Amino acid sequence: MPVFCWGAAKGGRVRRNTGDHVLAAIPLAWLAVLFLVPLGFTLVYSFGTSGFGSVTLGFSLDNYAQALGPLYLETFLRTLAFAVGSSAACLVFAYPIAYAIARRSGRFKIVAFALILVPYLASLLIRVMSWQILLAQGGPLERMLRSIGLLHSPLTILDSIPAVVIGTIAVYLPIAVIALAVVLDRIPPEVIEAGHDLGASPSATFFTVILPLSRPGIATAALLTAVPMLGELVIPVLLGGNKGLFLAQAISAQYVQSQNYALGSAMVVLLVIAIAVIVALLVRLTRGFDATGGEPGRPERAKRVEG
Amino acid sequence: MSSSAHPVSRRAVLGAAALAPVAAFLAACSSPGSGSSGTASAKLTSQLNIYTWPDYFSKDDLAAYAKKYGVTPKISTYTDNNTLYTKLNSAAGAGYDIVVPSSSWIKQISDKGLLEELDHDRLNLKNLDQSLLNRNYDPGNKYSIPKDWGLLGVVYDPDATGGEIKTWQDFFDAGAKPNVSGRIRMTSAAEETVGPALWIQGKDWNTKKISDIEGTADFLTGFAKHVKTFSAFDANAMASGAIVMAQANQAYARNAILLNPKLKWVVPGPTSELWVDSFSIAKGAPDIDRAYQFLEYQLTPTVQLNETVYLGYPASLKGLKSKMPSNVKQADLIFGGPNVDLGKLTSFVVNPDTYPTFQDIQNKVQAAAGA
Repeated sequence: MPVFCWGAAKGGRVRRNTGDHVLAAIPLAWLAVLFLVPLGFTLVYSFGTSGFGSVTLGFSLDNYAQALGPLYLETFLRTLAFAVGSSAACLVFAYPIAYAIARRSGRFKIVAFALILVPYLASLLIRVMSWQILLAQGGPLERMLRSIGLLHSPLTILDSIPAVVIGTIAVYLPIAVIALAVVLDRIPPEVIEAGHDLGASPSATFFTVILPLSRPGIATAALLTAVPMLGELVIPVLLGGNKGLFLAQAISAQYVQSQNYALGSAMVVLLVIAIAVIVALLVRLTRGFDATGGEPGRPERAKRVEG
Repeated sequence: MSSSAHPVSRRAVLGAAALAPVAAFLAACSSPGSGSSGTASAKLTSQLNIYTWPDYFSKDDLAAYAKKYGVTPKISTYTDNNTLYTKLNSAAGAGYDIVVPSSSWIKQISDKGLLEELDHDRLNLKNLDQSLLNRNYDPGNKYSIPKDWGLLGVVYDPDATGGEIKTWQDFFDAGAKPNVSGRIRMTSAAEETVGPALWIQGKDWNTKKISDIEGTADFLTGFAKHVKTFSAFDANAMASGAIVMAQANQAYARNAILLNPKLKWVVPGPTSELWVDSFSIAKGAPDIDRAYQFLEYQLTPTVQLNETVYLGYPASLKGLKSKMPSNVKQADLIFGGPNVDLGKLTSFVVNPDTYPTFQDIQNKVQAAAGA
């Protein structure tokens, strides 16, 4: 098994004693009880028949047929488009910030990292509601835009999809910045110097050296933003006027309003499968990128690439 | 492999660690009656657990109750009847004494055996507005006593709508007008979206005919493009003109009118909704005696008046309207305006056979609004 081989190859014998195993077992047990077991219940419910607020267990594919029907399929595609689009937009904004923090902040790198994380001290709900206040008609943003002459009529952006996208980008920006900054930080300066020595201009160095080396960070940031965005519920309700059904709203409506646990469960299972496929695709696409990210002190990795 | 040197392999330990809590969890779930206990305590405990809507009791009244009886009620909240139902229906719902369901859900919750039958000998209902009692949602008030009530109406800017709104047909017609389209708030409660569409056809929203309900879908999804939001009512949005026509209850409307006096309120014809948020006692409440004590306290005239002033919703006491203090502005709006006839209004009763259809239409309407 790869894991055991990795342990053996790490330059000598690795003693794993029972203490290590028990320590590893604790998070696994936590994961099993709080994640795998409820997921298991959901899977079992998805094949059942729904009563109002109860599920009769059995084996029926009706729920899946309904979940793959036109309304919910359209909802899923709409949510997918939203997640991918917002994630891409988030990355576009995050990259320059991450670059500045990782490579241009000098002595203030730690402070900069900390400042990026400050929004997480407030709850998600409060951050989203602040956007609701900012974007409201007659609110601060409208007044600011009017005063500099960019706007001449009331600001009606709230309760629309653009407001949802703005809010989503703002909320997920710190995660993307951190994921990118960590990778950008580890690009050895020698590699960039080599690029300059070989005659590359700063922009050529960026596109041919830095950007490709940061691909693992881009992949991580994409994963960490797009996947939660698929399940986003709060932002479409507060900033989108609860319109334009997204998948999380549809699933929530099945569980809470329609009391149809079976159909809700089927939708959840399909969503989990879709996410697993996307993650697998991303992992496959970025396989081997690690090898190009140079890290001092890991010679056996370089050997693997050449071999 | 280094693992073969150890008597217990890493895999075995991890496997056991994963399975043990799973086994314990399943064992706990399979034991019957893991919910609330059936017996009420004979002695008054020092706790009263109330599960209710947020900010639904006046703090002064709660403090006075605590002073008189020495118990400060512990309040947990929900924002949705469905949440109340789901929670009471699960093991996590044990331990509540008093709950506050809306009239539409009382039948569902009581049918599932989650509410205690009320002992009318322990309650004095003679001072209550009798037209609120013995209604279709809880005949004989077996499980509930009215706490406060509200109406579904429309608050609007007559300049934008170009005239008065008197019926639900007027509401839908006004929605298509250029000054109004895109500045409408509708509710996210499925029955309050589908109901008006049924009423303009003269139908009853408690109908058992699913075809009637489904028949409103095309009309409503066509209207959806005029709607700006289905989110919580925002009085400031109405004051600033971002919303010019909104479905709302009379308390929300009053808040908006206090901010912008040129707005108007109407309970459209031919009929509209009367909802009655009610006190109920959860089945297996830990302290039933304390619950009745609290209810008795709530039904006293001074408390009823205070609650009305605090909430902006009318409590259930007879003749409250004439007792309102003069410093309460727009007091008659609390009661839905001058011409409200509770006999002409209908209360919704959630029916598991039809409610999913209502919700399906709500989902379609919300989806269509965002398209």
